[in-house]
Amino acid sequence: MIEVRKILGSIGLGILTIFVIVAIFAPHIAPYNPHQIYRPMEHPSSSHLLGTNDLGNDILSEIVYGTRVSLFIAFIVSAISMLVGTSLGLIAGYFDKVGFLIMRVVDVVLTIPRLPLIIVIASFMRPSTWNLIALFLIFGWLMTARIIRSEVLTLRRRYYIDATKMIGGSDFYILWRHILPNVVPLVVVQFIMEAIHVILAESGLCFLGLGDPVARSWGMVFHYAFECPTIYVSDVWMWWMLPPGLCIVFTVLGLTFVGYALEETFNPKLKSSFRRMEL
Amino acid sequence: MHQISKLAYYFVIVLIILSINFFLPRVMPGDALSYLTDPGADMPVRMTEEKGEILLAYYGLDKPLSEQYINYMVGIIRGDLGLSIYYNDPVLEVILSRMKWTLLLVGTSTAIYITLGILLGATSAWARGRKKDMALLISILSISSFPSFFIGILMVIFFVVKLGIFPLSGAQTAFATYSNPLEEIFDILHHLVLPAATLIISHIGGTYFLMRNSMLGVLGEDYIMTARAKGLSERYILHKHAIKNALLPIVTMTAMTAGFMVTGTIFVEMVYAYPGIGNLLYNAVSYNDYPLLQGIFLFITITIVGANFIADMIYIRLDPRVNHE
Repeated sequence: MIEVRKILGSIGLGILTIFVIVAIFAPHIAPYNPHQIYRPMEHPSSSHLLGTNDLGNDILSEIVYGTRVSLFIAFIVSAISMLVGTSLGLIAGYFDKVGFLIMRVVDVVLTIPRLPLIIVIASFMRPSTWNLIALFLIFGWLMTARIIRSEVLTLRRRYYIDATKMIGGSDFYILWRHILPNVVPLVVVQFIMEAIHVILAESGLCFLGLGDPVARSWGMVFHYAFECPTIYVSDVWMWWMLPPGLCIVFTVLGLTFVGYALEETFNPKLKSSFRRMEL
Repeated sequence: MHQISKLAYYFVIVLIILSINFFLPRVMPGDALSYLTDPGADMPVRMTEEKGEILLAYYGLDKPLSEQYINYMVGIIRGDLGLSIYYNDPVLEVILSRMKWTLLLVGTSTAIYITLGILLGATSAWARGRKKDMALLISILSISSFPSFFIGILMVIFFVVKLGIFPLSGAQTAFATYSNPLEEIFDILHHLVLPAATLIISHIGGTYFLMRNSMLGVLGEDYIMTARAKGLSERYILHKHAIKNALLPIVTMTAMTAGFMVTGTIFVEMVYAYPGIGNLLYNAVSYNDYPLLQGIFLFITITIVGANFIADMIYIRLDPRVNHE
């Protein structure tokens, strides 16, 4: 059991490291500028390893730069969501009156199905990376706030909290020094789940044609390939559709493995919440 | 008492959804006419100011916001969701005409993926930590990493393009005449296999993990040890004690995931051009058919919220402890 956990964790971490390196060093790794135009619909060759698309962009370069867009969106959304979700979760768990209000908002927004709402809002807005990020942020913090709050509710009844209060520790001090460190493992797992969700949801929105047409993520490359009427006729899908699709799959897989390994480490009782949240 | 407060809660949610739907187009940049008169549009309409005012008055957009809101709510209660721009038919009619296909797709796939998920989850938990469990766990974690549209496209490439054993798109063969009803049923099922399989594969993870976790919890309970101490056979314990008790969370999940299924069908129906509501949503997005888009949004969200409400009610019935919270 322990071995499997370690193996999966290392595989996941390895996959993620590769993608992060590709994202950071994209200009050095990509053979061409992704907006440069060559002969369209070229098959893979030594000069264009994955051929060119219908506009004549080098597909490999598009995918390498797409790594930046996809990972950037997932990282920014998850990071801000965790910051907001954790803060509100801590406050909601520690202060009853405010907590009640925050939790009602969380309950209501969580009941509204998020993907349909995101699709509708996204189709009214001009598609852009920042708009997508803003949309994902509306929903990103909710689950974390709820989970952190319920953890704080049990943590604050511990004796050492009472002891700290008695010797004059302020609420802020207790939250910062005694409660926050205890919820960090939960936040890390939530961060990964949110990143998985955002990667999948973003690629889905792109697939519907609601992504940023300029800063092309993996989902957008995939979308344009799907829109191409002759995609199934020849083997074009092999170098135009398969690579961006597999990039999405491997990123999610890497995150899933790391998340699973962390959950098993932090929470050996296995009453895990992992993978409960779906698209 | 609990049920009534739940009812009130869901009523508020529906009200909020309806309000979002009302305010969304009104807070977005531009107004109702700028889309028509935009010089960048495909066919910009030139109109005088008076003509524009007549148009606004016709749609009731010159009235104060509060009056528009009341009219909108009354319209919703009457089932009036407006006119679809692309189909030129009432939105509700367009949606209802597509509903049977989505119901067929969601119904069959839900039944199969829940059953499979329960069986696999129970098998996995029963073999906890052994090879069988790990193999199942890793394969299902991997499968769950595929976006549903990618699974769909891979299936199309393999089964339709390479093997040619299933049709590419649609729910029925176009312009087909059937000599007997059996033939028609076979044709519909033939078109259903791939979309349903795609939905099943992309949703099985949720049920599997829930069942596995729930069952692992049950297996740690004292009554399982009691059952073993009594000398009951392992098979008997598995069927009569473990699976039965582990099923409780699955019941609520089933109704909850009915919602996820509806959003899942958007992508699957799109890949297979399956003529259900999901595909309609895609058309509405690509043709900028906003009335239709909003109608589908309302329809989908209210269905999902309704399913959640039913799930809550069932849960209260099944587990009386919930009442005392």
